[in-house]
Amino acid sequence: MIKASVRKIMEFERFTEKLKNTSFASIEGLGKATKMAQETIKDIFKGFVSWKTTVMQMVEVGWSSFPIILITSFFMGMVLALQVGSATSNIFNEPVYVGTITSFSMAIELGPVITAIVVTGRVGAAITAEIGSMKVTEQLDALYTLGTNPARYLAVPRFLACFFMVPILTVIANIVGIYGAMILATNTWDISSNAFWSEALDFISIRTFLHGFIKSFFFALIIVIVACHKGFNANGGAEGVGKATTSSVMTSMVFILISDYFLTALLVSLRIK
Amino acid sequence: MIKVNNIYKKFGSNIVLNGVNLDVHAGEVLVIIGFSGVGKSILLKNIIGLVKPDSGFIEIDGIDITKCSLEKLHETRKKIGYVFQEVALFDSLNIFENVAFGLRNLTTLNENEIKQRVTQCLAMVGLKNVEHLNPSNLSGGMKKRVGLARAIAYQPEYILYDEPTTGLDPIMSDVISDLIINLKKHLHITSIVVTHDMNSAYKIADRIMMLYGGNIIFSGTPYEVRNTKNEYVKQFVRGSSQGPILIERIFEMERI
Repeated sequence: MIKASVRKIMEFERFTEKLKNTSFASIEGLGKATKMAQETIKDIFKGFVSWKTTVMQMVEVGWSSFPIILITSFFMGMVLALQVGSATSNIFNEPVYVGTITSFSMAIELGPVITAIVVTGRVGAAITAEIGSMKVTEQLDALYTLGTNPARYLAVPRFLACFFMVPILTVIANIVGIYGAMILATNTWDISSNAFWSEALDFISIRTFLHGFIKSFFFALIIVIVACHKGFNANGGAEGVGKATTSSVMTSMVFILISDYFLTALLVSLRIK
Repeated sequence: MIKVNNIYKKFGSNIVLNGVNLDVHAGEVLVIIGFSGVGKSILLKNIIGLVKPDSGFIEIDGIDITKCSLEKLHETRKKIGYVFQEVALFDSLNIFENVAFGLRNLTTLNENEIKQRVTQCLAMVGLKNVEHLNPSNLSGGMKKRVGLARAIAYQPEYILYDEPTTGLDPIMSDVISDLIINLKKHLHITSIVVTHDMNSAYKIADRIMMLYGGNIIFSGTPYEVRNTKNEYVKQFVRGSSQGPILIERIFEMERI
């Protein structure tokens, strides 16, 4: 009886110790990532930018993600139009507001979120894997010994590339998604393209697009800061790089979805909707 | 001059450097020997500032790199070249760009001069027409030599070599040993070489030190190493499994 109680107490102690260590590690990681972001922004304002590398990274982020964004947003628009048409047919016996709801959803929510998630998987993972591999093979140390600040050399161009390309990709995703919805609406629900656009544009203002556009900048920051931070802190060889990459993708996705709620609440309160 | 004063470094409960003291004089080749995992590479990384000691200080030409400002540390680092044990060539750059990397960041040479210097440094380590290749196209030994070329390209005053001949064939090891001697003779470059290769150590060293148990337990000329009565040094130099190092290591393994 006493033995069992002692064992339970010991198990509880071990659990609390583990919880404490995990919590401290998370807080420490958050602090490190914030400091890295702060240093990177400082470096950009001080002019430590290699434009050649930045343009190369922009091409990498933009061009490589473009086909996936094209496909996913097109199908997302079609699915949305199908669902809205089906739901409104059940309620009103005819598909109504298809243009309005799909365009609205794409512009304020799905466009930015889908783009951010695709870029996280495609670009964020690549950034973490590349920087992580450099870390475990001492290439970051080699940069340091050759008079280069590794964070400045690697993080600044990737930071700028994501910051500018993710919003551009979001705009493309919005246009392609709405176009996909229109194609489905005209073919499946017999809504003319004129009627679709008129429905869409009657309710959507420039503020609606701005809502999603502003969010996409924040999502870009989350993706690049998490990816670089996880890469710079990878350790333990190939296995460590794999773990860092998985953690980078998962952390970014969670932060994107959590921040989406708070950003939406903020933008709505500022009447940017 | 490099002065390492009473430095301590531990990782978790493992004390790697336990009050190491050493001086490296201008133009000298100092060889540090010791069995794998004893802390030789950590000592070099402390000297270049990649790892910060827990206590103690390291002076390079009178500047304490453990306490100086970032600008001063950057200026001091320009004087030091580093040859990595695992080479650490940049995968995303070709061989030319790898060797030219330090020249672009640490010197004011123009592109033509950089091109000439890169070709010259690669020739010094026995490599020709490899400039356009990627590191993945080279053998381990060739990568090692590119790493050497990269470290000597910007002509630093000090070069720290972390096992420069490991993975090379005996002839190429001798070429690298000659290169270290020539850099000392002609350019008065001061070197600290961490190695297990005793042939190379005897050939290049002005002084040989042995690191053991976190401390320098022996320091002497190659002649003194050959004739020492220190059982640890004798065992290491002979490459014997019998001796005091083995006994302690067996105990360590049993404890694990």
